[in-house]
Amino acid sequence: MTESLHAVLEALPQSSLTTHVLGALDYIVPGEWRNITVFEELVKDVTGETDDALIQQVGERAMQLYADESNGYQRAVSVYRGIDSASTVAGAAAMANLAGQRFELLSFLTDVTPKPDTTQAIDAGLKLAGELVAFALTNGIPGDSVGDFVSALANYGKEEKMRLAAWLAIDCVLPLGPDFLQKILEALDGPLEDIENNRVFKLVSEHLPGGLGEQRDTIKRNVEESRGHLESMVADHGITQEGVMEKVKEYVAIADDKLDVVAAALDLGTNTFEHTGIQTVARRVVQRAYGEI
Amino acid sequence: MSPRRILVTAFLLCAALASGCKKEEPKSTRWEDAAAALASAPAVDADAAPGVALSPAGTLNKFFPKDGEGGYKRVFTADKEGYAEAKLQKDGKEVAVVSISDAERLAYAKAKFEGATEKLDGSPLMTVGKNQSTVLVKNRFQVKVSSPTLEHEARKAILSTFDLKGLGT
Repeated sequence: MTESLHAVLEALPQSSLTTHVLGALDYIVPGEWRNITVFEELVKDVTGETDDALIQQVGERAMQLYADESNGYQRAVSVYRGIDSASTVAGAAAMANLAGQRFELLSFLTDVTPKPDTTQAIDAGLKLAGELVAFALTNGIPGDSVGDFVSALANYGKEEKMRLAAWLAIDCVLPLGPDFLQKILEALDGPLEDIENNRVFKLVSEHLPGGLGEQRDTIKRNVEESRGHLESMVADHGITQEGVMEKVKEYVAIADDKLDVVAAALDLGTNTFEHTGIQTVARRVVQRAYGEI
Repeated sequence: MSPRRILVTAFLLCAALASGCKKEEPKSTRWEDAAAALASAPAVDADAAPGVALSPAGTLNKFFPKDGEGGYKRVFTADKEGYAEAKLQKDGKEVAVVSISDAERLAYAKAKFEGATEKLDGSPLMTVGKNQSTVLVKNRFQVKVSSPTLEHEARKAILSTFDLKGLGT
């Protein structure tokens, strides 16, 4: 039996290493993200309605839409779940002990080896492809329609915007530096096997049209066409290696100052795509239910 | 109801209230109940009328207001089988969500229009909750404007910028 929409949302933690890191990165997209993990609160937030019977009707319709597999929402959630490395390290959250209001990344860091730049860059590019695929599954835009995705990206709000900011900070700027886009594009031009053997590629490739070569082109085009928007987001919100590090340290106790080690630890210890991705899918389904009832 | 029955009912009610006071207010289980009801129902849409194909993706968005109409920037946000949605923005801020849904398989969505007192281009028009105005075209397509900031008249004005005629033919 598949999980119901309300159960999927309500299984998200109210406080975890992930929520602390997202809180730390809130300065990039101030006020966009609220950690809504209660289904009823989400229905009220989306609709702005107060009538209890109406809220019930919207919630039930949303659950019904989610339960029907052919609508694609469940697949979008599994893509978001698969993007994060953390979902494969389920114990990561347990490793991070709550010390006062800050999370301890200490013990965790001793085991972390940073990824080589090329691997990190390919990972980052594929995570953006994962976002494209999950977006397409949720909203019904064809999977090869990069143009539609890129224009939607520029209009991202709330959880979507938070997720994009976290990706830029943790997966791009922190480990790769200011010229991260160049590094991603170069890495994607490397040997096809490097892409083919990547964990995230295995997850998204079934949703991308064509053979391996064509899929690589779509993944690259996705980065190239998003480039303008991503660069202005980095510039407008002043996302720098030092800035990200400083903010994260306010919320998470980190014993190491090496940027790539911290980035690798955050990558392993958090599941920002899964957490905010589930919130996005739930919000989109509730919005549709509100339109349909 | 006999007087004795009323007494018994009243007694039970008091007892329930009294015991309710001692304990914590129980958490609502309405979503758990809804999930359980769904799980025991077939996987397909519970309200589906068999044999009717929904409008394919890509067929509804052409009836939306044009980009720039009424001073609103239009951004399409969903285009799925039986449902298309866009947001309308002014000065970069979201003002309304507009949608067309194929209500062919959702009997209650259509039935509510039986109580509609207004009309737009000959189709029944009504409000839903505080924030929605909606019109049912061809007894099938529900066109909706949802906005927490606009009043019914303003939402109605947006509804009239849809190609309702095109949708109805």
